[in-house]
Amino acid sequence: MQCDEARILPRTPMPSQANAPLPTGFQLDQYRIDRQLSLGGFSIVYLAYDEDDTPVAIKEYLPNSLAIRQEGQLEPQVPDDNLPAFRYGMKCFFEEGRSLARLMHPNVVRVMNFFRANGTVYMVMQFERGRTLHDYIHRHKGEVSERFIRGVFTRMLNGLREVHAHKLLHLDIKPSNIYLRNDGTPVLLDFGAARQTLMSDQPMLKPMYTPGFASPEQLGNREALGPWSDIYSVGASLYACIEGTAPPRSDERQQKDTLQPTTRTHTGRYSAQLLETIDWCLQLDPLKRPQSVYSLQKALMRREAGEAMPAGWFADIGTKLRSFIGRT
Amino acid sequence: MKFTIYQESRIGRRKSNQDRIAYCYSRDALLLVLADGMGGHLHGEVAAQIAVQFVTQAFQREARPLLHDPAMFLSRALTNAHNAILDYAFDKDLREAPRTTVVTCVIQDGHAHWAHAGDSRLYLLRGGRIAAQTRDHSRVQLMLDQGLLDAESAAHHPGRNRIYSCLGGSHPPQVEFSARIVLRDNDTLALCSDGLWGPLGDEGVLRGLSDPFVQEAVPRMLDHAEQRAGATCDNLSLIALRWHDDSAPQPGDSVSTQTMAMNDFTTQLETFEQSRSPATALDLTDDEIERAIAEINSAIQKFSK
Ligand SMILES: Nc1ncnc2c1ncn2[C@@H]1O[C@H](COP(=O)(O)OP(=O)(O)OP(=O)(O)O)[C@@H](O)[C@H]1O
Ligand SMILES: [Mg+2]
Repeated sequence: MQCDEARILPRTPMPSQANAPLPTGFQLDQYRIDRQLSLGGFSIVYLAYDEDDTPVAIKEYLPNSLAIRQEGQLEPQVPDDNLPAFRYGMKCFFEEGRSLARLMHPNVVRVMNFFRANGTVYMVMQFERGRTLHDYIHRHKGEVSERFIRGVFTRMLNGLREVHAHKLLHLDIKPSNIYLRNDGTPVLLDFGAARQTLMSDQPMLKPMYTPGFASPEQLGNREALGPWSDIYSVGASLYACIEGTAPPRSDERQQKDTLQPTTRTHTGRYSAQLLETIDWCLQLDPLKRPQSVYSLQKALMRREAGEAMPAGWFADIGTKLRSFIGRT
Repeated sequence: MKFTIYQESRIGRRKSNQDRIAYCYSRDALLLVLADGMGGHLHGEVAAQIAVQFVTQAFQREARPLLHDPAMFLSRALTNAHNAILDYAFDKDLREAPRTTVVTCVIQDGHAHWAHAGDSRLYLLRGGRIAAQTRDHSRVQLMLDQGLLDAESAAHHPGRNRIYSCLGGSHPPQVEFSARIVLRDNDTLALCSDGLWGPLGDEGVLRGLSDPFVQEAVPRMLDHAEQRAGATCDNLSLIALRWHDDSAPQPGDSVSTQTMAMNDFTTQLETFEQSRSPATALDLTDDEIERAIAEINSAIQKFSK
């Protein structure tokens, strides 16, 4: 399956206003809608409760540019011209469901159900209490501790390793897609872009990358995509933790690199070893970055004098890590 | 490059055609590929379609206009095709991954490189002789090699369809690669499925392709094979290529790629009936939506245990 963003462009232009969410108390299949959690260009996420009053997060496929739902309506209106694109986008939404259904990992959001209603489709996930790393960074601007960074990323990378072990790439890692549970453990969200399988030999899709966090090969030479591309995005997210903002877009960096190595800009605030690791991930040349999540985890685990890392952060490697040998 | 090429695939007396064939060329490189989906197995034609499509698409991406390393290309493309078939089986929740044989050849810089898994064959014919040919990955071929069988009884051996290497299935394929072979003016390369070489034999293939015009030889050979095989005729396919030196005068129906643009491709991919592949079906019917949802839910069940 190739998901090409160009194919989700509307034929009939839609007023770019937000779609109306389902109302509070609405009974959607076996779930009761509580409230809207977020609104993306492609979907709405709700908090809802199932029959046992267990909270769930439900993602509704509702691309802003193709379908419109006004206050008081249930079924989105899709102009005939947009119907093929709407259906095509739905396929991409299914890809997200497929990717997630295969992944069972404490650091990857769990999908529990998938169903059709109101002329569109829904993905039910385990509801996680907490906030995004993006929110956290904004609240703690300039004072995100090294210990916090190492702890969150080492564990988040356990989840990413699982993604790669399933021959998937995430391709949209950024602080707003890394969710921090209230107990501090991270969970990877939003696999809307994980449609590109590692081994896929098909023409490349264009996922909805986020400039600043996307690797240069994602914006350009997509044949070079690999685990190292997600690693670039991890590096950019690490960078955002210490700097408060994303690094410059990688395609602009390729023209003229204005990115200062963090080893130069942040010495003293963070250990040299952490800063070197960040700069390593942010190399423009894919071959110069850590080539696997495992090698990056090892770097993040390297103990600093006097700072012991709980062994439990790092899931056992032997079981899940598969080699990428033979696949380029 | 200058060459004449012709390909054809027929259903024989079977219910569906599980053979797939394609060729594709850029200004400076040429690809031939043939896959024979395995009948006894579910979705054999899907496996064959995925294999042919993957290899052709990889070629179109990488031959710009030359492949960086043809041997590496073949190795990677076949591994990827194998994995794609496994993924398909996984997505469809099939108990067993479908299987297909494959034989594929790349020509560039005047050299041929080929690779195969299973019992679909490649022949290189030169000066009225078989200059090279692939060795089937079959039990019968192993027995022949060990002197346990002679050619005559091999041709009628009940287990002659049993192969030990293919794409898809539960074992990684054992792909065999040729050396780099220099092509000479008037060489003929033929890729065929067992539905063709079975009834005709090496001799029949050689004789059939001694015709100066491949576009006439191919249909005639398919006719022969169909007649010989009779009521049980298998799917049969043949791609034949005649190579011409750049300096040779241009024969009537040949292709010269000299005037092609750097990034241009010509592709001939035979598709049959509703050869719907997972990658090409674009629109989504209600049925397909229901099926996608059912698949996702069954994957959720499978993995939440
Ligand atoms: N399982 C969940 N539990 C709690 N909150 C969630 C969950 N899933 C999503 N959210 C909330 O919804 C927000 C958006 O989710 P997500 O990133 O998956 O969608 P999106 O960015 O809108 O995706 P798209 O690009 O498909 O429009 C998250 O940042 C988070 O606040
Ligand atoms: Mg998101």
